[in-house]
Amino acid sequence: MPHRWGMVIDLDRCTGCEACVAACHAENNIPLSTPEEAAKGRATHWIRVDRYYEGEFPDVRVRYMPVLCQHCDDAPCEPVCPVYATYQNPEGLNVQVYNRCVGTRYCGNNCPYSVRFFNWFEPKWPEPLQLQHNPDVAVRMGGVMEKCTFCLQRIQRAKRDAKDEGRAVADGEVQPACVQSCPAEAMVFGDLNDPESKVSRMAKSGRGTRLLEDLGTKPKVIYLQRVK
Amino acid sequence: MYLMAEFADKDSAAAAIEGLKTRGLTAGDLDVFSTEPVEFAPGVLDRPSRMSLVAVAGAATVGVGAVGFVYYTQHSYNLITGGMPTFSFWATGVVFYELAMLGAIAATFLWLLHEGGFLRRDRNAPVPVVEPGSICLRVRCDADLAETGTRLYEAGAVRVEKLK
Amino acid sequence: MAAAVTIPSDRIRADLWRPLSGAGSWYVAAVVVTGLLVAWGLFAWGYQIHTGIGVVGKRRPVMWSFYITNFVFWIGISHAGTLISAILRLTHAGWRRPVTRAAEAITVFALMIGGLFPLIHLGRVGIFYYLIPYPNERMLWPNFRSPLVWDLTAIFTYITGSVIYLYLPLLPDLADLARHSTGPHRTIYRLLSLGWTGSDREWHALERAQKLMAGMILAVAVSVHTVVSWDFAMAVAPMWHSTIFGPYFVTGAIFSGIAALIVVMAIIRRGMHLEAYLEPVHFDNLAKLLLLMCLLWAYFTTAENLTVWYGNEPSEMVVFGERVRGTYAPLFWAMVILNFVVPFVLLGIRRLRTIHTAVISAVGVLVGMWLERFLIVVPTLARPRLPAAWGTYSPTWVEVSITVATFAAMALLYLIFSKLVPIIAVWEYKHVSDG
Repeated sequence: MPHRWGMVIDLDRCTGCEACVAACHAENNIPLSTPEEAAKGRATHWIRVDRYYEGEFPDVRVRYMPVLCQHCDDAPCEPVCPVYATYQNPEGLNVQVYNRCVGTRYCGNNCPYSVRFFNWFEPKWPEPLQLQHNPDVAVRMGGVMEKCTFCLQRIQRAKRDAKDEGRAVADGEVQPACVQSCPAEAMVFGDLNDPESKVSRMAKSGRGTRLLEDLGTKPKVIYLQRVK
Repeated sequence: MYLMAEFADKDSAAAAIEGLKTRGLTAGDLDVFSTEPVEFAPGVLDRPSRMSLVAVAGAATVGVGAVGFVYYTQHSYNLITGGMPTFSFWATGVVFYELAMLGAIAATFLWLLHEGGFLRRDRNAPVPVVEPGSICLRVRCDADLAETGTRLYEAGAVRVEKLK
Repeated sequence: MAAAVTIPSDRIRADLWRPLSGAGSWYVAAVVVTGLLVAWGLFAWGYQIHTGIGVVGKRRPVMWSFYITNFVFWIGISHAGTLISAILRLTHAGWRRPVTRAAEAITVFALMIGGLFPLIHLGRVGIFYYLIPYPNERMLWPNFRSPLVWDLTAIFTYITGSVIYLYLPLLPDLADLARHSTGPHRTIYRLLSLGWTGSDREWHALERAQKLMAGMILAVAVSVHTVVSWDFAMAVAPMWHSTIFGPYFVTGAIFSGIAALIVVMAIIRRGMHLEAYLEPVHFDNLAKLLLLMCLLWAYFTTAENLTVWYGNEPSEMVVFGERVRGTYAPLFWAMVILNFVVPFVLLGIRRLRTIHTAVISAVGVLVGMWLERFLIVVPTLARPRLPAAWGTYSPTWVEVSITVATFAAMALLYLIFSKLVPIIAVWEYKHVSDG
């Protein structure tokens, strides 16, 4: 049975600390930005925490929602790429092929979650931060799109280790950087095709919703929240 | 042998052509040269054309070829995008339409080159230099040159010359 | 038609050939100015390629802006030739004759310029050839399901068809020019005229081909701008995913095309002293067509905005509000005034409809249609579905330079063209048999 990777994020546990954002930056060689570029809106955050305020003072509630690539089954970003730089791999991941991307940016426009980022310039890291690069992850070039990959490098490593040891990938063995670093343990990652896995069981929860579900994109990130 | 007769208006030219046809000459022996298109009444000097058919044939060929090409390329490297089927006629229908039109356009242009005689020019046939406003009739006849010439003058030719 | 009777035949050719020789001081100045602007635009593009596309104002979420606006705008302008030549030819409108070649030239040049913009807007221009289907080692082909590849085939077909459509009626004129030239000019003109002799076989084949091409180029033109509109309509972004985009864009294209034609014709009328050939009746007819397209454009715009507003769908209403009341409101209302109010008043009231007011309306329409393209692209991208991703946009000198350079390039191409062949087809002008 092939894997089908999915993620559950419990919004009732999320504190908005953004440890996931920092971990993702460290793991995935995300290009740094300058204050001017960030003010223009060009900072790259493969996972970001959206913050919404509800109500008027003194009854204000703040809601946090980590938004990352939803790896949709019917991804709107995929058919519009003219060069097949993004497509769905057999394990359900929406993969971005950096070498193929010519930079038309149509996929970025068509993503309703706005989770795709473009390298407007050649990514640069001020000394000595380039020494901190993760060797398992490609450093992108200028002019290509990038987005969350569900830490494909960690998935590959787990599958390799499991194959070397002659066993199946265990539930919880694959932990993307964001899932691993969440102090509130709000994020769970695993194989949706395995009915016994934690992510499958949590996905069936009555508190489960998907973001912008009515668009029919069939995202594989399930958000849990108490519906008031 | 070629005779060149110059006429001042298309009616006299038409009369001359009719006269020549009664003497056994065909449309293939006649050529009318002018600086603007001259329209005779139907039946005087008809040039049947297959251009519309060729255009449709071009469209059909290239269109069907495009369908086959897209089918082959989508299957040769099967990548799933957005849940769409591997070969989707409607998602790629625009490509078929545009390429079919391209086929029609190219076929029309190439057939024009053929039908207008641009490709195979008879080097031996002399080309008269036509002044604006006059119509030159070039007749290819191998016998009865004097007789043909007289008839042309009777029809209203301003000038008749023997070329080559 | 009346002019063909009053101007003697040999004077027609003399008048229409006079601009081909010599160059007045205005002409030289125009070439120098447009040449410098084009050079500056090329420099800006080179700078962009060297430094990275980040030198433009685009950002997340507004990943498309000026370049796509210009792309759609210029492809729209290219519908000038198609309307005049094809539709008026098919309807046997005789007044089109002095206007057809000028219009077809606009089409070809606008397509050349518009077709350049998908390259300018690419992140990695050097590998643009990934978009072209060619056999390669990995047997990887472009994604024919993508609207951008549809664009590629549509524009390629259209530009091929338009060049052929411009070229065909040039054959008799090129042969005539060859006969009256000397030296290298004679050889080139002779070569380009394909040895045209003026025989009836050639005339018949030419006329048949032109009739067929008129119909085919019309079918292609409608499809081209529909396909360009589907770059937006096929996306699920708010206020883009609208079924009206196909006809809306085609109407807008013909609208801006006629406006461009009026402007170009007014310039060549004055610049090449063709007052006897491009008469007030031609401008009057084109002005009436412009008025018609203005009304059609207003109809489509009303239909689109009314249905969005009435439907009250939240993500669409945000974009709608930005366009009508918010950040982009000054541009939106300027567009409405330039595209509807000004042409409606100046061209709808018969006493006000003169060559001058036609040109003023046309210039206004060109600006208004550019704004319309901009307002389609940017507000939707600036207000995506998730409010956390909302953004703004402001252009930089690079995009503005390249935009200005394309207008200069159009003018420059036209200036060069007008020196190579007569801008009015001599044989077509003299030939009035089909009214």
